[in-house]
Amino acid sequence: MRMAKGEKQIDSRENQMVIFQLTEQTYGINIDAVYEIIRMEAITRVPRTPHFVEGVINLRGKIIPVIDLCKRFNLPLAERTSSSRIIIVDVGGNTIGMIVDGVSEVLRVPLESIEPPPPMIHGIDAAYLRGIAILDSRLVILLNLEKILYEHEQNELQRFEIETA
Amino acid sequence: MFSDEEISVFLDELEEKIQVLNENILVLEREGGSQEALQEIFRAAHTIKGSSAVMGYEKMASLTHEIENLFDHMRKGLLPVSGPLVDTLFMAFDTLQTLRDEIIGKDVSVDIEQVVARLRQFQEAGSVYSPDETPEVGRKPSKPPAANAAGTLEEVDEDVIREAEAKGFQAYWVAIELDPGCQMKSVRAFLVFETLQQMGEVIKSEPPAEDIQEGKFDTGFRVVLLTCEDPDRIRNLLMTVSEVAKVEVSHIKLAAGPDFQEQSAPGAQGEKTGQTVRAEHNEVKTVQTVRVDVQKLDTLMNLVGELVIDRTRLNRFAEIFEGRFGSGSGDMVETMNEISSHLGQVAGDLQEQIMKARMLPVAQVFNRFPRMVRDLAQKLNKEVNFIVEGHETELDRNVIEIIGDPLIHLIRNALDHGIEGAEDRVRLGKPRAGVLKLKASYMENHIIITVQDDGRGMDPARLRAKAVEKGLVDSEVAQRMSDPEALNLIFMPGFSTVTEVSDLSGRGVGMDIVRNHIEQINGIVDVTSVPGAGTTFTIKLPLTLAIIRALMVELGNEQFAFPLTNVVETISVRAEEIKKVKHSEVILVRGRVLPLVRLSDIFERESNAEMDRLFVVVLGIGEKKVGVIVDKLLGELEIVIKSLGDYLGKVPCLSGATILGDGQVALIVDVRSLVKEIGVEEAVYAAS
Repeated sequence: MRMAKGEKQIDSRENQMVIFQLTEQTYGINIDAVYEIIRMEAITRVPRTPHFVEGVINLRGKIIPVIDLCKRFNLPLAERTSSSRIIIVDVGGNTIGMIVDGVSEVLRVPLESIEPPPPMIHGIDAAYLRGIAILDSRLVILLNLEKILYEHEQNELQRFEIETA
Repeated sequence: MFSDEEISVFLDELEEKIQVLNENILVLEREGGSQEALQEIFRAAHTIKGSSAVMGYEKMASLTHEIENLFDHMRKGLLPVSGPLVDTLFMAFDTLQTLRDEIIGKDVSVDIEQVVARLRQFQEAGSVYSPDETPEVGRKPSKPPAANAAGTLEEVDEDVIREAEAKGFQAYWVAIELDPGCQMKSVRAFLVFETLQQMGEVIKSEPPAEDIQEGKFDTGFRVVLLTCEDPDRIRNLLMTVSEVAKVEVSHIKLAAGPDFQEQSAPGAQGEKTGQTVRAEHNEVKTVQTVRVDVQKLDTLMNLVGELVIDRTRLNRFAEIFEGRFGSGSGDMVETMNEISSHLGQVAGDLQEQIMKARMLPVAQVFNRFPRMVRDLAQKLNKEVNFIVEGHETELDRNVIEIIGDPLIHLIRNALDHGIEGAEDRVRLGKPRAGVLKLKASYMENHIIITVQDDGRGMDPARLRAKAVEKGLVDSEVAQRMSDPEALNLIFMPGFSTVTEVSDLSGRGVGMDIVRNHIEQINGIVDVTSVPGAGTTFTIKLPLTLAIIRALMVELGNEQFAFPLTNVVETISVRAEEIKKVKHSEVILVRGRVLPLVRLSDIFERESNAEMDRLFVVVLGIGEKKVGVIVDKLLGELEIVIKSLGDYLGKVPCLSGATILGDGQVALIVDVRSLVKEIGVEEAVYAAS
């Protein structure tokens, strides 16, 4: 299920979102960032990396880091099932895999239906969100991948400092 | 105006040509006026001049123009090779190099005036110097019959024209006839040249440009012009200059020479071709080459890895297939296995070929040194006979990039501290000139590079004393050190036997940095020395960085790879042999204390190791040794190193990952950071 980028001219007033589940919540990320979606596979754990880094996988000869979004947001961990997937995204020049509980569909989200996020939703800080959208009476939380993937260093460093102090 | 691609081809070519200039000047200096070397230099300078002018780098064009003129004099025997001349030429080449740096955007400002002035001095001196013919005669203006626009082209000019044509320029002979009554020929000529230069580049003129500009010609002269303009426009523009009576323009069509193919891709003929041609100059060898981005080779390498993995999958599938359909599938399974093994063979060959494509002759680095040694020796007032061997030895280009700096340092050291001054040497009964030998050779899967001098050598006793004095080791430890171990003290950070910082070797870079660089590329450096007789540094390098031999071990249910270069041995020990010293575990191996560490502790993993029998991988970095306890030894494997990527960045104690035959990822242990991390030294001293 590979999606070619920019295949179709997308109406600028709406976003195409890949919709996925994580601990019974529905989330969306912009399809532009999504490179491919693969089934769960054996992940080689990499010691001494941030806690949410699950390890690395071999994606056709390339070593790709995989993170667990639940761990990233300190959400309760879900069991891996046959519907678990790894969404491979291309963000900030790096290819990164994200484990999610399941990928349901690709939706067109009109821009006017996106609302600013509340300060905190389901334990996720608003800084990591692009907004929320109500679609077919479902609440979809739209994630800001740049922030989620790259703005952890500080926290991690702080954590290490506390540990070593 | 020019694409990045074109500029980079130009820069590569420039680099090559500057190298050619440097090399041949050294030949000239050594052997006097070798015609062949002069010819090479002349060609190189001419090419740089032509292409830099086309690219619009005027300073470079005018500098090379001066160099070319000077060599023209030398070629004609008007100017002898002399020390000061060689120095000036080197200075000019250095300026060329800085001009190149300027082009690639380094913040340097280059002034060519001074060096041009010096070059001119020699040129003038050359005009005075007259061995058997007076230069004025040779430069008599009467030569060109101005009636016909076409003159004679030399081979070098043809080369330049072909290159320019490849870039979309046309070459024309332009003959200009001035009014016979013209009073200010030089001024008119100057204006004509100005006009010509607006349209393109003049690569040749008859008579020579300087004569024309001084008015030393009858009424006409002609030039070769490289331009994009059409002949009519050239004619019309030139006719606007007053007192120009007649302009004739004729297109130069070059016959495709025997070496046309080679010349048509100037960027493509690498160092190697150049050498082949020089070695067998009678038959011009046409090796067709292309420049390929290393990235592309890396991608190819990845794809080969994919093939290998698929082959393993095919094998497994064949087994499953046989299991499911039983003996009835006999033929099919056999065929499948056949296909699989052939696939494996092809993938292996492919891998090897791509590896080879990544290799470059070590000459790439070595060629810089003769010049450096010459300059240094002169500065130090020492006499040195520099011998280079094995520059055809091939290395992975990544290794080549890194090995340069350490070698420079070792050579500098040898010249500065190793080899004695000529008088001292005579007093010691050695030949006046010291011998510095740089040699590269293959040994199994490695390359050995040695830097050997016959200088004063190093005294282990002095090194021990020095190390103790600097507080690097305590005196007891120092006394127990063997001589080879004591020699290795020089690689310790903070160790330098010369107290005053010299301008040459003491640039704040110590031998520890040298070793660091070499170990970075999985190399090993060793030193042997005989006091009074000289010092030899031996560097052992892997052929490539992309593939290493590794010892695979198991921890829990995961595999880890230890680069074999760092593995000293593997031993199996009984649990009761392990002793506790403070908080660290150690064992005695052949009477020596070996600190131990558990891989499971380093990587915070569960261990499935048996309780009573333990496997220990003994790792060595320099003189440090440490034993790592693992669950199981799985054997040696050739692995392709892959980066963990920028996202994870530098992970402590890991240097990358590799993909195993079954597609699984195994992590590669970074032995250096591991040894550093567990503070082996403390453990050793605590134990002793």
